[in-house]
Amino acid sequence: MLIFSVFKTLTDQTVTVELKNDLSITGVLKSVDQFLNIRLDNIKVADEGRHPHMMAVKNCFIRGSVVRYVQLPAEHVDTQLLEDATRRDAMNQVKR
Amino acid sequence: MDVSGTGIQEPFDLIRLSLSERVFVKLRGDRELSGILHAYDGHMNLIMSDVEETIMIVDTESAMAGQGVVNVAKRKMEMLFVRGDSVILVSPPSRT
Amino acid sequence: MTDARAEPPTEVSPPPPPPPVQLTGSPTDFLKGVVGKRVKVRLVSGVDYQGVLSCLDGFMNIALEQTEEHVNGVVTNKYGDAFIRGNNVLYISALEAL
Repeated sequence: MLIFSVFKTLTDQTVTVELKNDLSITGVLKSVDQFLNIRLDNIKVADEGRHPHMMAVKNCFIRGSVVRYVQLPAEHVDTQLLEDATRRDAMNQVKR
Repeated sequence: MDVSGTGIQEPFDLIRLSLSERVFVKLRGDRELSGILHAYDGHMNLIMSDVEETIMIVDTESAMAGQGVVNVAKRKMEMLFVRGDSVILVSPPSRT
Repeated sequence: MTDARAEPPTEVSPPPPPPPVQLTGSPTDFLKGVVGKRVKVRLVSGVDYQGVLSCLDGFMNIALEQTEEHVNGVVTNKYGDAFIRGNNVLYISALEAL
């Protein structure tokens, strides 16, 4: 839930999603859900030569389970806030 | 409960105590990360900053010849979300 | 052909001592008993981690101390502490008596 919230705060920011098949897609984060499925707009695929079929694609839906990394815009991530929220989350997990 | 006096009752405590510290992460697909941990959840989804990724690429030709030659690719990322299902191992900085 | 059916007890001996607990206990008993002991954790990838088991949880997430990583019997890494995500675990083996 915590990470879901983080992604929600990053909507309309530009992110780079790297998939487990090594495909790397940069685009504007339009929406995310609890499974961390991701919708990207205005996408650009790294190494288009290797993925020519992606050239005409302008937006996409990415299933959360195929994501390896998401590179985030560091200037829009408050790391102190993240750590506090993570500790709070961990406390609640123990209490159950 | 606690055997060693480090105050760890469950494995996630180890991760919680590593928040805002540099951690080593071993991932599926012969990848390793070193970065500062800012957030995690029960799936071991991670958010890290100042990340250096190391990818081990086994050269198949030399492997055929019986030589254990491993090529290493490195890259840096400012702020990174790592999906938990790729995580094998997380090691905090040694607390000495 | 020998007749194996009739094998009357020829002598009355005391029953053998009960086996050590770890042989009769449930998997849960094993996991409880092995905390704080030196263990080998084998991952599905074939990599081994040897160290002192700090604790584990229901997902088999594992915290190890003084951990050595073994690949094909060779030590490839050492960690003071290590968290292993449970889905990667194939088995846990005790390296000392429980």
